[in-house]
Amino acid sequence: MTGIDWVLLVGRVILVFVALLISVLLYIWMERKVIADFQTRTGPMRAGPRGVLVTFADGLKLFFKESISPTNADRPVYLLAPIIATIPAFLAFSVIPFGAPVVIFGRTVPLQLADLNIGVLWVLAMTSIGVYAVVLAGWSSGSNYPLLGAVRSTAQMVSYEVAMSLALVAVIMFSGHLKMSEIVAQQDKVWNVIPQFPAFVVYLICALAEVNRPPFDLAEAESELVAGFHTEYSGIRFALFYLGEYVNTVTVSAIAVTLFLGGWRGWWPFHGAAAWLGPVLWFVLKVTAVIYVYILVRGTLPRMRYDRLMNFGWKYLIPFGLFWVLATGAIVVLPDRYGHRRGAFMAVGIIVAVWLVMSLVKQLLESPRPAPASREGLAT
Amino acid sequence: MLIDYLPIVVMAVLAGVFAVGSLMASSMLRPNRPNPVKLSAYECGNDPVRLPSGERFSVKFYLVAMLFIIFDIETIFLFPWAVSFRSLGLFGLVEMAVFIGLVFVAYVYIWRKGGFDWSAGEIAPNEADEVVERERALFTRSEQEVAKPPDVNEWQGAGRAG
Amino acid sequence: MNAHEYAFVVVATIGSIAAVAVVTARNVVHAALYLVVTLAAVGMTFLLLGAEFVGWVQILIYVGAIVILFLFGLMLTKAPIGRDTLDYQNRAVGAVVAVVVAIGLGSLILQAWPLASTPAAPSAPGGSDVLGSALFNTYVLPFEAVSFVLLAALIGAIVLARRDEGT
Repeated sequence: MTGIDWVLLVGRVILVFVALLISVLLYIWMERKVIADFQTRTGPMRAGPRGVLVTFADGLKLFFKESISPTNADRPVYLLAPIIATIPAFLAFSVIPFGAPVVIFGRTVPLQLADLNIGVLWVLAMTSIGVYAVVLAGWSSGSNYPLLGAVRSTAQMVSYEVAMSLALVAVIMFSGHLKMSEIVAQQDKVWNVIPQFPAFVVYLICALAEVNRPPFDLAEAESELVAGFHTEYSGIRFALFYLGEYVNTVTVSAIAVTLFLGGWRGWWPFHGAAAWLGPVLWFVLKVTAVIYVYILVRGTLPRMRYDRLMNFGWKYLIPFGLFWVLATGAIVVLPDRYGHRRGAFMAVGIIVAVWLVMSLVKQLLESPRPAPASREGLAT
Repeated sequence: MLIDYLPIVVMAVLAGVFAVGSLMASSMLRPNRPNPVKLSAYECGNDPVRLPSGERFSVKFYLVAMLFIIFDIETIFLFPWAVSFRSLGLFGLVEMAVFIGLVFVAYVYIWRKGGFDWSAGEIAPNEADEVVERERALFTRSEQEVAKPPDVNEWQGAGRAG
Repeated sequence: MNAHEYAFVVVATIGSIAAVAVVTARNVVHAALYLVVTLAAVGMTFLLLGAEFVGWVQILIYVGAIVILFLFGLMLTKAPIGRDTLDYQNRAVGAVVAVVVAIGLGSLILQAWPLASTPAAPSAPGGSDVLGSALFNTYVLPFEAVSFVLLAALIGAIVLARRDEGT
C-alpha cells in the first residue's frame, strides 16, 4: 500500500465516523421534533435555528457534568461498560455500503469501509458483543435497578437476536451472498423488500427490540426500573451509552436499507461531476425514512409488557422465521412447473406477515382486567 | 482477506480513542465533589441492599439463555447453507428440512411443557378475589406498622443514605 | 516473520495472558470477562488461519451466547458476586491436573504437527460457501447428528429448568 492508499483509507474511516456522529446529533433532534409534533408541542427551539443544535448542547452539558461512581460499583468494569457500548456500535456500521464506488486520484474507492466476505455475520457478531455493555453496566453498578434492567434487557436482546438471524438468513438465501456489496448489486431490478416482505417485517420488529427502542424499551421502563441498566451512570459516561444506542439505531436502519430497500440504489441517478452524490443522497433518504418509521412507532404504541414481549419473540417470531426460511428455500430450489408457486408462496408469506404485525399490535393493546367486583374491592 | 479488516481496525482504534479520550477529558474538566449520599446506590433514599442476597431471580431467565444458545447454533448452521443451497438443490433443502424439523420437535415439546410461558402473573378472572384479599391484608398490616412509634436506631441507620 | 505471524504472536500472547487471568482472578465476573478475551483470541486465530467463517462463528457462539449464559448464571444465583474470594486452596491438585492436561495436549499437537514441518499457509479459503458445500455434501450424517444433539440439549434444558414444579 502506498501513501495515497493509506490517506484514502484513514480518510474514509474518519469521514464515516464524523458522519455517524453528526447524523446521531441530527436524528436525536429529529426524533424530539417529530415526537413533539405528535404531542402538539414545539419541541426543542432554543439552541440553533429551530433547536437543531440541541443534542450538541446536551452533549456539551453532559461533558462538563460531575460523573458519580457509586461506592458499591466495581470500578474497572463500571468504566469499561460505556466504552464497550460505543466501539461495537461504530464497528457494526463499517460493513455497510453507503454509495456507489467513486474514482479519486485514479483509484476506485468503494464507499464502504470494509466489504467483508461474511458481511451479515459481522453485524450479528457486533450485536452480540454489544450485549456485554448492558450486562456489565447492570452488574457493575452495584445497585438493584440496573441489575434488574440488565437481566431483563439481555434476555430480550438474545431472544430477538435469534429471530433477527432467521430474517437475515432468508435474505441471504434469496440473494445467495453474505457480502453486503453483492446483496446491493443483486437488488438492481427488484428490491428485496418485495420478495422478502415477511423477512423485512420480522427484521424491523427484531431490530426495534435489539436496540431497546420503544415499544420494546423495557430495559429502561422508567416507571418500574428508574432508567434500567444505566441508572447509576451520569455525565459523559451516560452520554456514551446514549451515543451508542443511537449509533445502533442508525446502523440497524442502514442494514434494513441495505438488505431490503436496495441500499444506495435510486431511480434518479445524478450525472456528471456529482455522480457520486446521488447514491449517497438516496442512502441517507432511505435511512431517514426507516428511522422516521421507528419514531412513528415510538409515538404511537404503548410499551409492551415483559411476559408478552417474550411470548411474542419465542412463540410468534421464531417459528415464523423458521417457516419463512424453508419457504424461501422451496421458492428458490423447487422446479416450478406451473409458474405460480413463487407468487403463491409470497402471498402466503405476506398474509402471515400482516397477521404477525396484527398480533403484535393486539398484544400491545389488549389488557385483561380483573372482574368488576374485584375492582370495587380494591377501591375500598 | 485479512487486508479487508484494516479499515475496521482503524475504525476500532478511532472509536476507542474517542470513547476513552472523552472519558478522560471530561474527568479533567468536570467538577468532582463526591459525598456519601451522592455515591450511594440509587434506591429512593433507602439503604441499598444487594439484590440476589436472599432469593434467586426467576429460573426463566436462565432458561432463555440456554434456549438462545441452542437456537443460535441452529441459525449459525443456516448461514453456510443459505450461501450454498442453490448448488445443493433439492437434496440440500430436504437435508435442512430434516434438521429444522428435528429441532422443531424439541421446540414443540418445550412449548407444551410451558417453557415459553412468561405469563405467571396474568390475572385469571377467578383469581381476582384472592388477589384483592392479599392486597387488603398487606394494606392493613402496613397501617398497623405505621401506627407503631418509629425505632430510633432505624432512623439513625437510614440517615446515611439521606 | 510476516504480518500474519506478528499478528498471531500478538493475539496468542493476549489470549494466553487472559487465560491465566481467568484462573487467577479473584472475582468470578472478572474471570468470565477474561474468558471472553481468551475466546475472542481463539476466534482471531481462526481468522489468521484463513477460516473467516469459523472465526466469527466462534465469537458469535462463545462470546455472544455461552459467556452470556455464564454471566446469567452468576447474576441469577447466589454465586459469589462482588469481592468474595474465589480460592479453595486446592493448588496442588490444580497443578497436577494442569500439568497432565498440558503434557497430553502438547504431545498430541507435536505428534500431529512435528516442529520441523512448515506451518500451513493461510491460503485455504475458509469462506462460508466452501464450508457449506463440505458440510452439506461430505458430512451430511454428522450434520444431521448435530440436530439430535440440539434436541437432547433442548429437552435437557427444559427438564432442568422445570424440575422445581414437579412436571
